[in-house]
Amino acid sequence: MASSGHPLADTSEGRASFLSRLRRAVDEERFFGTLLITPMQLLLWFLLIIPTIIVIYLSLVAWEPRMGVDWWQAPFAFLRNYAQIFQDGRFWAAIGRSLGVVVAAGGLEFAVGLGLALLFMRDFPGKRIVTSVILYPMMLPWVVVGLAFYLLFLDRGPVNFVLTQWFGSGATVEWFKNPLLAMGTIVLADIWQWTPFLFLILYSGLGALPKDPVEAAMNLGANRWQIFRHVTLPMLKPVILIALVIRALEAFKIFDLVFVMTGGGPGTSTETISLYIYRVGFVFGQLSYAAAMAVLILVMITLVTRFAIQPIEEG
Amino acid sequence: MANPEASIIRLEGLRKEFDGVLAVQGLDLRVREGEFLCFLGPSGCGKTTTLRMIAGLETPTAGEIYLREKKITRLPPQERNVGFMFQNYALFWHMSVFDNLAFGLRVRRTAPGQIDRRVREVADMLELAQVLDVRAAKLDLSAMQRVAMARTLAVDPDVLLLDEPLNNFRPGLRERMRGELKRWQHQLGRTMVYVTHDQEEAMTLGDRILVMNEGRSEQLGAPRYIYEHPANLFVAGFIGRPAMNFLEVEFKREGEAGLLQRDGLRLRLPRDLTAALESLPSSRLVLGLRPQHLRIAENGTAREGGVFRAVVDLVLPLARKQVVDLKLGDELIKMVLPADRPLLVDDAVSVAIDADRIHLFDRDTGRAIR
Amino acid sequence: MESRRLREFTDAVLRWLAGIIVCAIFLLPLIWVLSISFKPPEEWIAYPPRLIPEKITTSNYVVLFQPGNPVGGVGAMVSAAEPVTRAFINSIIVVPIATAASLVIGFLAAYATTRFQAGGKSLPLFVLTTRMFPPVAFAVPLLVYFRALGLIDTQLALILMYTGFTIAFSLWMTRGFIEGVPKSIEEAAILDGASRWRVLFTITLPLVKGGLAATGLFVFILNWTEFLLAQIFTSRQAITIPVQVSHYVGAVGRFYGPMAALGVVASIPVVVAGYIIQRHLVTGFTFGLVRE
Repeated sequence: MASSGHPLADTSEGRASFLSRLRRAVDEERFFGTLLITPMQLLLWFLLIIPTIIVIYLSLVAWEPRMGVDWWQAPFAFLRNYAQIFQDGRFWAAIGRSLGVVVAAGGLEFAVGLGLALLFMRDFPGKRIVTSVILYPMMLPWVVVGLAFYLLFLDRGPVNFVLTQWFGSGATVEWFKNPLLAMGTIVLADIWQWTPFLFLILYSGLGALPKDPVEAAMNLGANRWQIFRHVTLPMLKPVILIALVIRALEAFKIFDLVFVMTGGGPGTSTETISLYIYRVGFVFGQLSYAAAMAVLILVMITLVTRFAIQPIEEG
Repeated sequence: MANPEASIIRLEGLRKEFDGVLAVQGLDLRVREGEFLCFLGPSGCGKTTTLRMIAGLETPTAGEIYLREKKITRLPPQERNVGFMFQNYALFWHMSVFDNLAFGLRVRRTAPGQIDRRVREVADMLELAQVLDVRAAKLDLSAMQRVAMARTLAVDPDVLLLDEPLNNFRPGLRERMRGELKRWQHQLGRTMVYVTHDQEEAMTLGDRILVMNEGRSEQLGAPRYIYEHPANLFVAGFIGRPAMNFLEVEFKREGEAGLLQRDGLRLRLPRDLTAALESLPSSRLVLGLRPQHLRIAENGTAREGGVFRAVVDLVLPLARKQVVDLKLGDELIKMVLPADRPLLVDDAVSVAIDADRIHLFDRDTGRAIR
Repeated sequence: MESRRLREFTDAVLRWLAGIIVCAIFLLPLIWVLSISFKPPEEWIAYPPRLIPEKITTSNYVVLFQPGNPVGGVGAMVSAAEPVTRAFINSIIVVPIATAASLVIGFLAAYATTRFQAGGKSLPLFVLTTRMFPPVAFAVPLLVYFRALGLIDTQLALILMYTGFTIAFSLWMTRGFIEGVPKSIEEAAILDGASRWRVLFTITLPLVKGGLAATGLFVFILNWTEFLLAQIFTSRQAITIPVQVSHYVGAVGRFYGPMAALGVVASIPVVVAGYIIQRHLVTGFTFGLVRE
């Protein structure tokens, strides 16, 4: 029966070359893949790994550029730099302020962003225009946002003008001379610039949720709040976590706004950790002390994100 | 079963427009207490939209909906006590099975003890007691269906609405779940409205079927009745597999008897039918022939009915029967024959039509005459 | 029955009102900056402040590029500030080059990591660490060794850093787009005898072109707005626009008109870029972890 002339039997040769071609492709893969990631690997070594080694080394020596010796010839200080950090009230105050920005700005941005996103879930006239308008602050350079809020909160600026119109001429506030108010305007600028990010991510997250569970809950008799609390919010949780973690990491870095709006003042009352390290390293020239602070920050953030990322991976 | 005359749901001139497109155009319907009613129709016929309007998930453009003679047209879905089972089940996948079943009771502020009792009750009924602590996302399809059913049942709805719940199943499982559904309906004695585009499903499940097309009701009735007495060309062509054959014919009178005529076909009619046709204004008709009702003509012709000669165009053998395409002029006519009758392509055959089993439609209105 | 209609109507009106208020809040700061940028010096801090300038002037913009040109009565003092031309040239050279480099390197790596898991499964996550820490922490060691390499106050230093610190975005965003290309398309091409390079450049690349463009514009925005590293690593020769903006706020802090004008000019390219890639903004800021 096995007639060799049958057209279906005659594929052995074709199949062999098919397989060998496939095998060759697999062999190539490793070489090809390695080749493609090499530029990025080089960049990572150059900008991440070598600097990390250097910053650790620097943090263990006593070196300032003005000493006149090269940094690799500087005497070892071992953990003295780190010991100094623990007695440096200005460092911890700056950390506290950065964390304060994370909590205050991050929290308010989330609350307002979520509120806006829910508001925008239903249609109303002009919704698309408003959505486009909300987007642009995220794209602006931080320094320009700082500049804008600086101009708004000038002593004789529009904010004070509105306040005096409402509350009388005594209501002029010197925003940048009061520590708390200065910090407040910085946080306000941050909220203005980054609420759109949380709005957009929550809005698109809400839009992407399947409708059926919400409708099922409606049929089961749940009211709006119950649906939001027990159905919508839990389904949105992964998106919320990612948004909050990213925003928190960004807010902790806050530098540009402070630099432009208050320069850390009055005194050091609005100095955040980025600004403090910048000053110690690049203004005061104490590079190895700045290095020690940088290492401490790297360690702290690594630890915190470890815990923060876990629920994201599970969710 | 409760009094079959009492209607639990009544639709009155129900209409729905989406951006100027009519999805449902003036639907009147009474759903009887305790019945299993199927909405059957091709996709886009408005059956799901109708169901969603009953549930309150869509607001009608016009018309009214009554539940137990209470107007609910504009009531939000939360206040209707109508259960809805979604095509993809819409489980709360972030919750356990227990929490899914308890959800409706919790939002009604039922006492915890009572919730627990009721959840276990429905879980037992649908064999979910073993998986109450499992997260909904981890279940298999059949369990998901049972959870979806149990969740709608837990709050004791007046009516259950089901939107093609068997769509996601592979064929074997699909038949089994169909059986389950039928059994639940018997057990629960609950009014169910069931949307499907699968006529076989509608025929097996439904006490009655509402055939819909382009947002309109085409016919409402028991499955068998609809099959045997389709009200119009659409229903006739939609119900039954393979689909009914349609031939355009002219009615003529020849002596005592009436005659249906076209190229290659003469069909003698019984007297009562002749009389009925004579009273019609038009003699232009459509003859409907079910493929199952055609036979190969043996010797001798019947006094009534007719025989036509055709050529075999295609033979599709099935397990115990075969579907044969015949060529009659330009028309293709399908017939179903037992598998033991050997036929080859290009064979010429004589096919007998039994005058008792023909369907006739008015060519202009599409309405059934018989 | 009608109460529901009424509720829906008031609901829509309330949303519309809220929309207008939100619009106003987000627009006002920018409008104020725009307004000042067109005001002559005597109106900069005129009290009461006026939203619409009494006398519209473009001299604030002119003075940015020709500092000798007097702005009203205080021109001589403004001219003490440096011209912004150099900052503009630097930004226009540094930002596109760094963006292109980041995009090319990121795309190649994204392809290798999604298709062959090159570099191990955790490499992409490792790359994210470049964005986790405050850049100032890296600036400390980088300054030390950029000084040794003679890179301080050069465009090359900025190009290197801007490429490196946006690679995480380039990598992650393009990974998302590459994952959208079915592997079977590439396999079909390989079985037809195409080389790996050919597949990459004639099959995959054209399919993710749009995504790459969006990624490129996003990285452009990040690089154009970067301030801290530029502030640390440049002093005169290589300063960029954000640094120039900060100089205006600090050094000649009372010259609000040119300050605002510079802010407007600095923002235009990124706002334009941002609106082109509107749809991809969330994807960008979340490294493609959340897609729209």
